[in-house]
Amino acid sequence: MRKPFLQTVNLCKRFGDVIALSDVSLDVYPGEVLIVLGENGSGKSTLAKILYGLYFPDKGYIKVEGISIVFSSPMEAKRKGIFLVSQRPQLIDDMTILENVAMFLGEPPSRDLRKRLYALLNELGITVDIDRGVHTLSYTEKQFVDLAKVLMARPRLLIVDEAATYLPRELKQRFLNIVKGLRAKGSSVMYITHKIGEAIEMGDRFAVLRRGSVVGVFGLGVDASTLRQAMFGSEEYLTRIAKGFTQGAPQKPAALSVENLLVFDEYGKPAVNGVTLTVGAGEIVTIVGIAGNGQKELGEAVVGLRRVSRGRVRLNGVDVTHMPACERVRRGLVYVPEDPFREGVAMGLTIAENMKLFSQTKVSRELLETVTRKLDVRPSNPLVAVAKLSGGNVQKVSLSRLLLTTPKAVVAYSPTRMLDEKSRVLALNMLQRLADAGSAVLLLSEDLEEALHASTRVCVMVSGRIVRVFEGPDLEGYREVIERVMVHA
Amino acid sequence: MPRVAIVRRELPMAMSALAKVFVILLGMLIAVALVSTVTRTRIDIAFATLLQSLVNLNVFVYISTLLPIAVGLCIAFSANAWNLGAEGQLVMGAVGATFAALYTPLGSQEIVAPVVSIIFAALLGALWALPAALLKMFRGVNEALTTLLMNFIAYYTTNYLVKGPWRGRAVYGYPTTDMVPRQARIPMAPGYSFSWYVVAACIAIALLAYLFLYKTRLGAALRALGSSPRFVELIGVSSRRLYLIAFLLSGALAGFAGGVKLLVYHGKLVEGPIVGSGYGFTAIMLAWLGGLNPLLLIPASYYTAALYILSFGLQIGSAAIGDALANTIVGSLLTLALLADFLTRYKLVLR
Repeated sequence: MRKPFLQTVNLCKRFGDVIALSDVSLDVYPGEVLIVLGENGSGKSTLAKILYGLYFPDKGYIKVEGISIVFSSPMEAKRKGIFLVSQRPQLIDDMTILENVAMFLGEPPSRDLRKRLYALLNELGITVDIDRGVHTLSYTEKQFVDLAKVLMARPRLLIVDEAATYLPRELKQRFLNIVKGLRAKGSSVMYITHKIGEAIEMGDRFAVLRRGSVVGVFGLGVDASTLRQAMFGSEEYLTRIAKGFTQGAPQKPAALSVENLLVFDEYGKPAVNGVTLTVGAGEIVTIVGIAGNGQKELGEAVVGLRRVSRGRVRLNGVDVTHMPACERVRRGLVYVPEDPFREGVAMGLTIAENMKLFSQTKVSRELLETVTRKLDVRPSNPLVAVAKLSGGNVQKVSLSRLLLTTPKAVVAYSPTRMLDEKSRVLALNMLQRLADAGSAVLLLSEDLEEALHASTRVCVMVSGRIVRVFEGPDLEGYREVIERVMVHA
Repeated sequence: MPRVAIVRRELPMAMSALAKVFVILLGMLIAVALVSTVTRTRIDIAFATLLQSLVNLNVFVYISTLLPIAVGLCIAFSANAWNLGAEGQLVMGAVGATFAALYTPLGSQEIVAPVVSIIFAALLGALWALPAALLKMFRGVNEALTTLLMNFIAYYTTNYLVKGPWRGRAVYGYPTTDMVPRQARIPMAPGYSFSWYVVAACIAIALLAYLFLYKTRLGAALRALGSSPRFVELIGVSSRRLYLIAFLLSGALAGFAGGVKLLVYHGKLVEGPIVGSGYGFTAIMLAWLGGLNPLLLIPASYYTAALYILSFGLQIGSAAIGDALANTIVGSLLTLALLADFLTRYKLVLR
């Protein structure tokens, strides 16, 4: 009989009035991938944080190889070989990649470490200069650097909290292979996700969390509908993304246009190089590309958070190239930023305060309630500080700006990042509805799935340029071509 | 060997509030112990003096200066604008009021004179905060440093004025200006050196600041600026303008306090360090003691004022330790408050 590497015994955690975990007991065996599946706010991340010593449980404890313990800091968890890769990369912005890794491992940034780090990055298929400051990386780049950092420590239990969910497909596949490699070497993996498909692909066993409790543990061979049933209960929900009627519609006036845009990154290298693009009212144009190919800089330049060195940005025919971001927003340009925590919400304010700020006019209590209910923000109490919400719910608050305004143009960066299946559909439907109502939508995405579902046009961006544009009623048919273009241009 | 670990925790509101009350009581005990040791007073007398201080109307002397400054700082700190220059802005406020009262014809008009003087005080206070704000906005210079250094410039500018061009004709060579005209003075409460008008104004200011920060869109955006300037831009509010507003409001309120201090208390401009006497620095502590909430600043400033009175009350006849003792007490109190704040958010685990 195998002995579990790690057991949790009746873990309970409360945040004020919000119950995050109640009596969670789980075992993780050596050499297995245990999936923890649950919708946004079901307590997955809280569990991970307790196991990694970031939170202290209110009740219950952990057993590592049969010995009871409660971690009071990640340092103690690390000493036991337990490591966490979370949905928010844990890196220090002002340091270089190498310095971050060295500090994490507690060794000097020696030539040897440099060599090992490059070797691992090579294995992951990532080309990045490890002497670059972390603040210059895109969110996705940070995520895989964070991953590499943890893999360097040779974990005995690797907790992956949604970290792989948003990696580009190719990179993700390599990552999943490495995880499987860990399993073959006898390490354990706790893989936290809300994506059922991914879970089935990866897992040996499946634990489903709902509202802080374990509602079921399943073995190999479980099917998707059983898991979905356990995850969401018997609630009915939409799995279809509503398609608008704008497909193939005659040319609309350009609501948002970009002309020969040149934008530099922090190093003075061109990140966006000669991009010309028009988004008509009622259109959803998606820019796809592997992270770090200039989408972030393009989005920031369009909304005014980054200086444009050459070219023009026009909003409804008005040249806004050199207007500050706030002025563009007041003129009806809405931006859903890449990093909801740092730019999408004000963490110190309450849900209600955040939502009220999104609207230029007064927001009635009824509207606030409707929006909260529609987005299914949990907890639904509008007076809770956003800092207390889970990642997915923070993103929902950030997305509420789409329901509280009637924008002329929307620029959204991976808006479904961190959302569970149900909320993801909802978010894409929100964009569709805005387009139907006459907004121009520019979607910046690393998720081809999302791009193909939502768009009227797909542009592929590689190295700061738009290399191919796909258009037509059957975008789905271009999937393979697009994937090829994204990787090799 | 037992190891100590620091663990995050979340206490219910009631517990946090209880912890604050505990700190306040503990602070009083420390104050009594400290005062009785330093001034060699019997502890029961010191305690009695504390109780008297709490009901002594002279608390309003201190509240009139500390409260408006702390309210201003509360606005600035909420927006992550680290204005450490309230002392200088206070002093320059006094200079502004003196200028209006002594060197403009308006200074001898009933009613008009104090109003105009206070407006001048607030303007000069805001003006004194402006360079630091501009340097931060356009050159990225750390505002904590610039505002701190501006304090000294304010001190010595004032010293220059009272020793040089503004030295009074009827002051026998002392470094002060002439008294401002009677019409410009704000009438004091009989027998005390504070004015009820000013006290009312200060409380109104705290209330208005609360309404501004918590009930208006601009105020909420200002608090959001503390967590993310980009968020603020993305809701359509200029982060630069907001930052400037936060800075100028805090400067203006410190200037207001300086003007009031001059028109009620001093009656003439004296040397910079005497006008300021560290209130601008105490107010920084006070702003944190009140948890950056303008409403809580009202009781917090009352409490701080009582401790001031206690430490002065027992010094009559003894060595002139002056502000030193008061500042020691208020300083240790803030340390205590911060410690309590830490302990309500984290706990120490021994094993």
